[in-house]
Amino acid sequence: MLKKINLKNKTALVTGAGKGLGKACAIALAEAGAKVIILSRTKSDLIKVSKIIKKTKGSSQLFVCDVTNLDDLKKVLRKISRLDILVNNAGNNRPQHFTKVSQENMEYLTNLNMKAAFHVAQLCSQKMVKAKNRKKIGGSIIHMSSQLGRVGCEGRNVYNMNKFGVEGLSRGMACELAPYNIRVNTICPTFVETPMVKKFFKNKKFKNEMLKNIPLGRVAKESDVATAVAFLAADSSEMITGTSLLVDGGWTAQ
Amino acid sequence: MGIFLKDINLKGKTALITGATKGLGRGAAIAIAEAGGNVIAIGRNQMELNTLKKEIKKFKVNYVSFNCDVNNYNRIKSFISKLKKLDILVNNAGTNIPEPFLNVKKSSMETLLNVNTKAVFNVAQLCANQIIKLKRKSGSIINISSIFGLVAGQKRTVYSMTKFSVEGLTKGMALDLAKYNIRVNSVCPNIVLTPRTKKYFANKKYNKYVKDNTPINKVVTVSDVATSITFLASEAASMITGTSIVIDGGWTAK
Repeated sequence: MLKKINLKNKTALVTGAGKGLGKACAIALAEAGAKVIILSRTKSDLIKVSKIIKKTKGSSQLFVCDVTNLDDLKKVLRKISRLDILVNNAGNNRPQHFTKVSQENMEYLTNLNMKAAFHVAQLCSQKMVKAKNRKKIGGSIIHMSSQLGRVGCEGRNVYNMNKFGVEGLSRGMACELAPYNIRVNTICPTFVETPMVKKFFKNKKFKNEMLKNIPLGRVAKESDVATAVAFLAADSSEMITGTSLLVDGGWTAQ
Repeated sequence: MGIFLKDINLKGKTALITGATKGLGRGAAIAIAEAGGNVIAIGRNQMELNTLKKEIKKFKVNYVSFNCDVNNYNRIKSFISKLKKLDILVNNAGTNIPEPFLNVKKSSMETLLNVNTKAVFNVAQLCANQIIKLKRKSGSIINISSIFGLVAGQKRTVYSMTKFSVEGLTKGMALDLAKYNIRVNSVCPNIVLTPRTKKYFANKKYNKYVKDNTPINKVVTVSDVATSITFLASEAASMITGTSIVIDGGWTAK
């Protein structure tokens, strides 16, 4: 009756896999038995991640790649023969009040969080639909969205715009890829203990304000998000598509 | 438990399941036992409660059953308030009487409201109070909702009214119970093939209606839903509260 989170014989690609959530996802997928392809701009980070995966008896392949560089991305995808799972994770945030957002920051965030996310998703989908037994074995794409893909927040207008965009993309993709038995979902975490969030939380006032918004009274751990990603990647969720899994401690329930 | 991947493990936990003898409730009871959890089954058919015992005992966990109608508040209250162990509630008992809005009988409306909304509230309140009284470190309540808790369907006005109400209740409970580390979520399945829905699927027009509305070309199984319930019940979902897992093959993404 219970479908285990098992990714044996699956190949997963994770972007932004050098640090934070991407790193946690890559390791969790490997722990569930997947062969993991990890992408990041920083080679030293990727080497560290691949060493951890090796220690847990998993296997990984690394590619140094800036996902905003479409040509580089295409080159990497050409080197991959098979793909069952994509964790479309690379993303960033530069909080600024709406009236003060610089053109440069808006462009940077939108290019990374939306344009690159679209390209990665499209290229990987094209690869995934080519597998002859795809309908039988299925596929799974997980976009790293955010609770801010569901609700607004001060100083996060561009990030809001980007992540709401990802939520829309995910639902559209789910409809179009369903005939191939490829499922498409998002994960919407609250603040997670990552290097990016630790930087924001140096501001104690901000940290306390944010914690007040999480009914469970704690930030998420990387393992909370990575486990949810593995659940969506595996056949344990084989009828879940076009939706979002909120890992937000109740933030958006209010 | 890996570095980032948490197991779906319920060893040492005790789960109460209403409507446990058939369909989703039975599936949830078996999946929970499979994950190592003890089962308290509430149902109205003694023979089926006895049959379930045999299945649950295979997994070497404790099994207690109580033959009771969830509408019988006094009997349910007296049973739940005497429980010595309780960590999880699968608030499943529910029913449906499909009728076009203009012809909904007063008696069907009242039956559905009593079972799907009032009894769901009462059982949830009694269990939450008991989990708090027993000073458990954490708890998880899973209300069985439906895609008709998110969207409408033909001849399902009353069902939608009751399931939308369960969605609201879930979010409200999540906020009130967060300080006790009791998480509250719902699962929203598409129409699952169960003994109750079998007669609907026998109708060709209905079968086509379900297929045409489900992008992933499969019917949701009891096991699909039971797996999500067990995931939410476990610490693998320890930051998930006040939300829903939608298991609908993309029905509501359109």
